[in-house]
Amino acid sequence: MPVESTPDRTVRSVRPPADAELHRRLVYGDESALAEAYTAYGGLVRAVAARVTHSTAAAEDVAQEVFAQLWTRPYAFDARRGSLRTWLSMLAHRRAVDWVRSEARHRKDARADDSALHAIPDASPGPDETVVHRERSLQLHTALAELPQPQREVVHLAYFAGRTYRQAAVELGIPEGTAKTRLRTALRTLAETLAEPPDPALERGA
Amino acid sequence: MTRDHEHDHDHEDGYEDGLEDGYEDGHDQEHEGVRELLAAWAFGALQPGDERMVRPHLAECAGCAAEAARLRETVRLLDGPSSGVQPEGAPSEDSAVSLNGNAPARLPEAGGVLALALRSRRPAAASAPGIAPHAAPYAAAVSALQALLRELDGDDRHSAWGTPVVHDWDVHDTVAHLLAADEPLALRLGLDPCVPGTASPIGEDAGWADAWAVRTGEVIAHERRREARETVAVWAAQAAALLATPEARDPELASIATTLMGARLPVADHFTVRAFEVWIHTDDIGRALGLAVPPPPEPHLWRLVHLAVRILGTALGPDAPPVLFAVSGGAEEWVLGSEDEPVQAELVLDPVDFCLLVGGRYAPDEVPRGEAGDREAARNVLERAASLAWL
Repeated sequence: MPVESTPDRTVRSVRPPADAELHRRLVYGDESALAEAYTAYGGLVRAVAARVTHSTAAAEDVAQEVFAQLWTRPYAFDARRGSLRTWLSMLAHRRAVDWVRSEARHRKDARADDSALHAIPDASPGPDETVVHRERSLQLHTALAELPQPQREVVHLAYFAGRTYRQAAVELGIPEGTAKTRLRTALRTLAETLAEPPDPALERGA
Repeated sequence: MTRDHEHDHDHEDGYEDGLEDGYEDGHDQEHEGVRELLAAWAFGALQPGDERMVRPHLAECAGCAAEAARLRETVRLLDGPSSGVQPEGAPSEDSAVSLNGNAPARLPEAGGVLALALRSRRPAAASAPGIAPHAAPYAAAVSALQALLRELDGDDRHSAWGTPVVHDWDVHDTVAHLLAADEPLALRLGLDPCVPGTASPIGEDAGWADAWAVRTGEVIAHERRREARETVAVWAAQAAALLATPEARDPELASIATTLMGARLPVADHFTVRAFEVWIHTDDIGRALGLAVPPPPEPHLWRLVHLAVRILGTALGPDAPPVLFAVSGGAEEWVLGSEDEPVQAELVLDPVDFCLLVGGRYAPDEVPRGEAGDREAARNVLERAASLAWL
């Protein structure tokens, strides 16, 4: 007797992609799934955080936050709406930008205190050029974090994960031309933010 | 559609108007091609070989050269002060680690990061120390529901607890129902009731279903008077207490049969039933909130399937028209019903669909299935499976 199968069943019996399977185990509290996610994406998460913060220690903190969030809030990731790689990369970037912004605010406060005391000269920020460059970088990363998600995904794959535009297109399931266009729109938007005045909250004190 | 539009729109944005003026037609194709690649070039994301097309064009096209310089300068600024110019070509993920600050290309030990992550509010379910395999699906299902409910903690979803879920229950009521539903096993294993009222280990008396419904109503009414978060805490505490009983840790103790809610089963199977119900209601809540709840991990899912098949076989009895029953992906087949007659029909169901049928989330005629042979015999099995639903 032949056993016919309904379309529904055929679809579901397709082997689920690795992300969905990993997510399933994370949802059900399987800590070995967290270790696997770290093995697969820990390097990328640290690299993204290090690029933004320029600090190994901060990158460590960001990585820890990112994987703690993956563990405690697995439903924040939705396998239907993107890959775990880009999701973790974007989360790490967001957290790293937040870290640098709060760091910049602290530095500004500290400098304000210093000048009030007329005492300790500013020790940490190197030559002026470096400081300006750092502020430009933060300004750009802040703008990058605010790009629409479809553009951000391609930038993350191309810039942080080292994919070519073609590899990024395949990974995102989009046409190659779309990947190129998104990269271009994204990078132009970033270039335009450089024309804007820097974030007043981050301007150096005194 | 959207993608094409996006592409077209980009050409209309006027940015490159003017720069294109003055180029002959023969030039245009190459010019356009390179222009599209400039952002990828600036990011170091070209395909191998593209460079051969880009470089000569930049040498002779001032417009593209200016755009290229601008974009690459943007990437350089994005890189920040401590790193130099973005390397050409595509760095691999490993080399990306070492781009800045000479961090080692090798991934630092997982220990520190993961230990801290795991120490956060969520305990690991699968590897909870001492939990025996028969209780692992329940531990995992509890963990999954806790994870889902955490999504309701956000400020903007304060009203989400009132989202209708199933029957006339909202999310809060559904958790209260689970508090009541886990109670008979908890009481049987010697725990105290968490909610005052007519708590009893609902057993074999014929009216168990009524008693159970009454108790659920009572607990829901009680819980409605407190914050949803408190109900979740009480439910989670009862679940943790269940998982801390010797019966959750010792397979031998759990092999003792006891009757709960009309079913005489080993305690181990009662734990499986608890896992089943928690998952089905987690799925209900997920659907109500628009969050996809994945099915339990394979080993747990198969534990549910095996128990459900066993209960289904018993419910059909030895006189039902025999049906060859299989669950896709599994190695086994079962003849359900009479063993003395030739098989009259075959049924194959997906494990998740079968569980949803037994859990009352599929009508017998709607469940996706492979079916052959006598329709009546097959329908008898599906209807009996659906009638098991006590959730």
